[in-house]
Amino acid sequence: MADAAISIRGLTKHYGSTVALDGVDLDVPTGSVFGFLGPNGAGKTTTLRVLLGLTTASSGEVSVLGGRASSIDVRRCLGYLPDVPEFYPWMTGREVLRLSGRLFDLDASVLDARIEALLDLAGLTGVKQKVGGYSRGMRQRLGIAQALVNGPDLLLLDEPTSALDPIGRKDVLDMVAGLRGRATVFFSTHILADVERVCDQVAILDHGRVLEHAPLDDLKARHSRAHLALEVTGDATAFTEALRAQPWTGSVRPDVSGGLRVDLVDADAARLLAPRLVADFGLGLVRFEIAEASLEDVFLALVLPTAPITSGRAVA
Amino acid sequence: MNGLSTFLGKEVAEFLRTWRVWVLVGIIVVMAVSSPVMARLTPLLLSSLETSGITITVPDPTWRDSYLQWAGNLGELVLFALIVMLGGVVAGELKSGTALLVLTKPLTRPAFLLAKFLANAGFVIAATVIGAVVTWVGTLWLFGEAPVRPLVASTAAWLVWAVCFIAVMVLVSSLVAQPLAGAGLGFGVYVLVSLVGVWGPARRWSPLGLLNGPTSLATGEPVALTWPIVTTVLLTAALLATAVVTFRRREL
Repeated sequence: MADAAISIRGLTKHYGSTVALDGVDLDVPTGSVFGFLGPNGAGKTTTLRVLLGLTTASSGEVSVLGGRASSIDVRRCLGYLPDVPEFYPWMTGREVLRLSGRLFDLDASVLDARIEALLDLAGLTGVKQKVGGYSRGMRQRLGIAQALVNGPDLLLLDEPTSALDPIGRKDVLDMVAGLRGRATVFFSTHILADVERVCDQVAILDHGRVLEHAPLDDLKARHSRAHLALEVTGDATAFTEALRAQPWTGSVRPDVSGGLRVDLVDADAARLLAPRLVADFGLGLVRFEIAEASLEDVFLALVLPTAPITSGRAVA
Repeated sequence: MNGLSTFLGKEVAEFLRTWRVWVLVGIIVVMAVSSPVMARLTPLLLSSLETSGITITVPDPTWRDSYLQWAGNLGELVLFALIVMLGGVVAGELKSGTALLVLTKPLTRPAFLLAKFLANAGFVIAATVIGAVVTWVGTLWLFGEAPVRPLVASTAAWLVWAVCFIAVMVLVSSLVAQPLAGAGLGFGVYVLVSLVGVWGPARRWSPLGLLNGPTSLATGEPVALTWPIVTTVLLTAALLATAVVTFRRREL
């Protein structure tokens, strides 16, 4: 294998006047599990399509397994799971896998054994109905199975766990983790917890540009901070402004439960001084929780602008 | 061409296991059965329209009338059915997303198109041959006479044209996003061809000679179709080549 399973330099893609990708540079190390994150419309699927040769780049260079993205030789070593996998509805799951395997020119005996193993992996052994009658989750699992039929060197997954229940998700993530070192997995997803669980490296894409690209631990260490989840009684407007002026705080913004989320520069100072500040403003303390940084924190810090501050939730 | 035989096998299986086989064979067999019957009944129907003072004289129908019905049905009804069926031959897979399943594997885009062309051409030929046999049996039964050569010549000439039109449909369907748009373009081509086909030189030297050639051949009339057939075969190859070139560049 090449040192980088995927190498992208200066990749741009325009659709008319719309810039979908704006100078993307990326290296995906061989044998890694690589998380590719970004909000909706960031350009993740466009990047995948360029990697697969479904779309041509407007400019830039793309190397997949040392070759051109669209060449047959490279495709022999790829496995791909689209976001919403679609199959011929008149086929059974077994027939889909047989078609997929035969397109890779797999030997009949090898293919037969592999089909049985993949149907078992997908939990579809003994399912005789046609794919047209499958649930979304069954299609997703069949999609994963067909992506693995050729034992790929590079697996491109677009939202692989989106339609799965928690058990199915665990099985898929365990499978992905098990491939580390044996294959390269390029994992495009919105589910940050999945990336945190299995990925070695992460790239975060927004508006067609890579905002960050680093090993997961480095990313969290560099960008994230401990944060304080704080909820007070009464009108928190003035309190919030005072909080923002403190030297031990970073950004202060509303959180989803109606309280405040405070990124901390100094967590020790916050433990001592935040309750004192609450008392100084005559407010009651409802919630006070300091948590370590997560990938979600990094993602939000990079992708979302700081929201305007409103009052904390008043508790009667 | 990578993946051609495998994907062709899938196309054949799809044809046999979905509605397509029943629609195509059904339409052709109905046309085949009805052709001699309509030829036999038309004079009776016209006679029944006689009113006082107006006499409609219709010669007794013969095998020629039966074959004419068959050739006329092929040229219009069956061709229309093909246009409707094949509007989504490529666009349907792109729209449904199944094309992604196969075109991200070692299946070349030319093989994808060629398999669709070959499968559909093969089924049209097979169904039409079956229909011709049914027409011949019906004609022999109803008219006591059914020479083989005019029927074979007429059907074969139409098949050359039909296979060319399948190539037209593969091309237009590979250019559009919706099956309905593909069918619309196919009808547009048919109308255009029909209009230009009234020009004599076009009929003598181009594929347009196969628009009316089958009906002339059906009556046993000798018709010079060498150049129309040659140009149709060349056009078919050119249409497929164009489809391959444009589909290769298409963003999926």
